[in-house]
Amino acid sequence: MTETELLMWARGPALQVATVIFLLGILVRVLEILVLGRKANLAEARGSAVAGGLRPIVSRSFPDSGTLRRSTFNVVAGYVFHTGFFIVLLLFAPHILLFRDVFGFGWPSLPTQIIDAITIVTIITLLAVLVHRIQHKVMRYLSRFQDYLVWFVTILPLVTGYLAFHRIGLTPTMLLAIHILSVELLMVVFPFTKLMHAFTLFMARYYNGSISGYRGVNS
Amino acid sequence: MSASFERGINAFKEQIDAPVAAFFSSCVRCGLCAEACLFYTETGDPERTPINKLEPMRRIWQQEYSFWGKLASSLGLSRPVTDADLTEWETLVYDSCTLCGRCSMVCPVGNDIAYMIRKMREGMAASGHAPEGLIGATRRAVTIGSPMGVKLPALQAQIRHTEKDLGYSIPVDVEGVDYLLLLSSMEIMNFPEFISAIARIFKHAGVTWTISSEAFEATNSGIQIGVSEIAAELVERIVAAAAKLKVKYVISPECGHAYMAIRWEGPNLIGRPYDFKVVHILELLDELRAAGRLKTSGKETQRLTYHDPCQISRRGGVVQQPRNLMHEIAADFVEMPETGTMNWCCGAGGGVSSNERADEIRLKVFNRKKKQLDQIHPDAIISACSNCRIHLEDGLEEYEMDIPVLSLTETIAEHLLDREQNEGQEP
Amino acid sequence: MTEITNDSEFRAALDRLDAGQQRLVAAGFVKSVLHLCTDERIARVLEVAGDPGASSSTLAEALKTAKATTFDCHTRCGSEGDWLEQAGYFVARAAVAALTPLGQMPGGVAWPAAMSARMAQTSKSIVTGENTAGQESENQYRLLAGFLNS
Repeated sequence: MTETELLMWARGPALQVATVIFLLGILVRVLEILVLGRKANLAEARGSAVAGGLRPIVSRSFPDSGTLRRSTFNVVAGYVFHTGFFIVLLLFAPHILLFRDVFGFGWPSLPTQIIDAITIVTIITLLAVLVHRIQHKVMRYLSRFQDYLVWFVTILPLVTGYLAFHRIGLTPTMLLAIHILSVELLMVVFPFTKLMHAFTLFMARYYNGSISGYRGVNS
Repeated sequence: MSASFERGINAFKEQIDAPVAAFFSSCVRCGLCAEACLFYTETGDPERTPINKLEPMRRIWQQEYSFWGKLASSLGLSRPVTDADLTEWETLVYDSCTLCGRCSMVCPVGNDIAYMIRKMREGMAASGHAPEGLIGATRRAVTIGSPMGVKLPALQAQIRHTEKDLGYSIPVDVEGVDYLLLLSSMEIMNFPEFISAIARIFKHAGVTWTISSEAFEATNSGIQIGVSEIAAELVERIVAAAAKLKVKYVISPECGHAYMAIRWEGPNLIGRPYDFKVVHILELLDELRAAGRLKTSGKETQRLTYHDPCQISRRGGVVQQPRNLMHEIAADFVEMPETGTMNWCCGAGGGVSSNERADEIRLKVFNRKKKQLDQIHPDAIISACSNCRIHLEDGLEEYEMDIPVLSLTETIAEHLLDREQNEGQEP
Repeated sequence: MTEITNDSEFRAALDRLDAGQQRLVAAGFVKSVLHLCTDERIARVLEVAGDPGASSSTLAEALKTAKATTFDCHTRCGSEGDWLEQAGYFVARAAVAALTPLGQMPGGVAWPAAMSARMAQTSKSIVTGENTAGQESENQYRLLAGFLNS
C-alpha cells in the first residue's frame, strides 16, 4: 500500500468503520445503563429530585476546597489536559473544516501558534499525569491495563497531530495518515473503556444529585 | 435466613440499577474519593479507597450487565467473583466504611459510592460475609425487638425511673396524640436521660406524644448489615404501631442511621408510602423554636462546636436545624473546619462500632476528627447521635483530649425557660 | 436537723453547696451504689473523690480513670446489653460526675452524680425484677441530710 492509499483508506473506509463503532458503541453503553432503570422513591420528598439532579452536572466540575487542597495536582492537571484537548480538537482551523464538511457549519478558530502552545502544554501535562498515576499509591493501586491504554490513545492524537502539523520525521502524507489513524484508534477504543465517562458522567452526576436533592442536600 | 455464595451473587445482581451502572461506567480511577475518606486518610492504605471497596460488585456489573463484559464472560475471558474475593473484601465493606457518604460528595464524575456500598452489603450479607457483631445485633433486633437486647420491662424500668425524677408520667401507648417517639437502644441503655429531656421539652412546648410498647426501637440493624427483608420487617413494626396509635408523626431520635432507615429507606423497603410523616427530633425542635413554642433562657458560655452525624446531615438533609438550635443555647458556637454536609465522620456508624474486629481501626481513624478539633479548640462538642457521642468520647479519651460530648436535645432541655416554677434561669 | 423528703428540697440543698462540698456529697452517692460496679478502679477513684484535701492533679488523674472505666463498661451499639454491667457503667458515670471540675459542669456535679447513681440501681432492678423505684433517692436524701447536719 502506498502512502497515499493509506491516507485515503484512513480518511475513507477506516473512518466510516471507526465512526460506526464509536456511535453505536456509545449508544449501546448508554442504553445498557438506562435499561436497568431504577425504582421510584416512595419516601416523602424534602427537595426536588430534578433540580437536585441538574445541579451537580455543572457544579461537580468544580471541586470543594478540601479536595482541591488534598489533590491539587490531580485537579489542576485534569483541568489542563481536558481543556487543552478540547481546545485543540474544536478550535484548530483544519479540524473545524472537517466538522464543516460533516455538520454543514463551522465556527471561528484560534490562531495556530496558540493551538500549538496549548498542544505542547497538554502533552506535557499528560506525561505528568502518567508519572503521577504510576507514582501515587492510590492511583497505582487502582490502575488497570485499561487506564494505561486510555492514556495512550488520548495522548497519541495530540502527539501525532503535532508531528503532522510541523512535518517532523516522515512525509506529510504519512504523518497525516498516522494522525487520522490515531484518532480512529481513540474512537474505536472509546466505547469499551472509561472514556465513556464523557457521556455517562452526566447520568452519574444527575443520579447523585437527584438522590441527594430528594433529601434536601446539595451534592 | 441461610447464606450461600449463590444467594450472594444473586443479591448483588438484584441490586444493580441504572445509577450503579452509570457510576461504574464513569469511574476514571482518579482516586479523589480516597482523600475524602477518613479510613484512607488516617491509614494511608490504598485498599481503603472508596471505589475499591466495590470492586467485586463492579466485576459482577461488568460481567452481567455490560454488553462487552457479558461477551467476554461467555468466552471465558473474564475472572468471575469468588467466595474468596468476598472474604477478602469483608473488612473493606464493613470495618472500613460507615456509609458516611463523603466520597459521594467529591467524586468528580458524580458517583454516589455510599449508595453502592449499601447495596453491596446486601450481597455480602446474603453470601454470609457480614461481621459477627452485626449478625448478632440483627438477630436480636428481629427476635427481641432491639439489637442490644433491650426488652420492654427494661424500657419500662427506665421510664419509671424518669417519671420519678420528673414528677409526672411518660405517655405510653396513648392513642390519638400527634407524635410517636422512637428511641434507640443506645439511648435507653447508655443515655436514658434523653427520655427525661424529651419529656420536659414536650411538656414545655405543649406537644402531645407517646411511646409505643410494641415498637419503641429506632435502630435498624437490617440497614447496617444489608438485609432489606429484615430492615423492612423492623420498619413494619413501627408502621403498625403508628397506625394503631393513630399518630400523625413519628419522631426519629438522636441516632443517625435510625433516621436514614425510617425517613428515607423505610417506604421503599416496605413498598408503600407511609400514612404518617417522619421528623427527626432536631427538625421538630427547630419547628417548635420557629413557632415560638420552645423558649430557652441563658446560654452556654463555653466554646461549643457541633459534630454533624453523617446520616442526619449529609445523607439525611437535616443540616440547618441543629445550627438554629445551637444559636439559641450557645454564646460561643464555632463551626468545625469543613462542616455541614462536608463534616468528617466520627468513624463509628454504619455498624462499625458493633464490630469488635474494627475496634483498632475505628480508634485510628478518629484522628481525622481530632485534627478538626485541634484547629478550633472547643470546650465541648455537641452532637445529635448517641453512637457518635460514645465513640467521640472513646476517641477523645484514647487521644487524651479532655472535651465533654453533649447531646443537643439534652442541652436544650437544660435551658428550657421554666414556665411552671418562677425560678427563672437554669444555670 | 435538716430533713429532705423530695427532689425539690434535694436539688435546692445541693445548689447551696460549694464545689468542694458537692464533690464530697457526690462521692457519697457513688459509694452507696459502689457494690453494683465490678470494676475495682471505681473504688480507687472514689477514695480520691471523697478526700477533701485531694490535689487538682490527683483529681484529674482519677477523672481520667473514671472516664476510661465508663467507656469499658458501656454496652457498645449493637452488642448484647447486660443490665448488671450497665449498672457498673452508671456507677462509673456517677464517679465521672463527682470528679468533674467546676468549669465543665457549672450547674454543679452532685445532681448528675445522684441521677447516675439512681440509674445504676434501676439497671440492677431490670435484672432482678424488683420494683426499687425511689429507693436510691431515699438513700440519697438521707446521705445529704447527714452531710448537712455534720
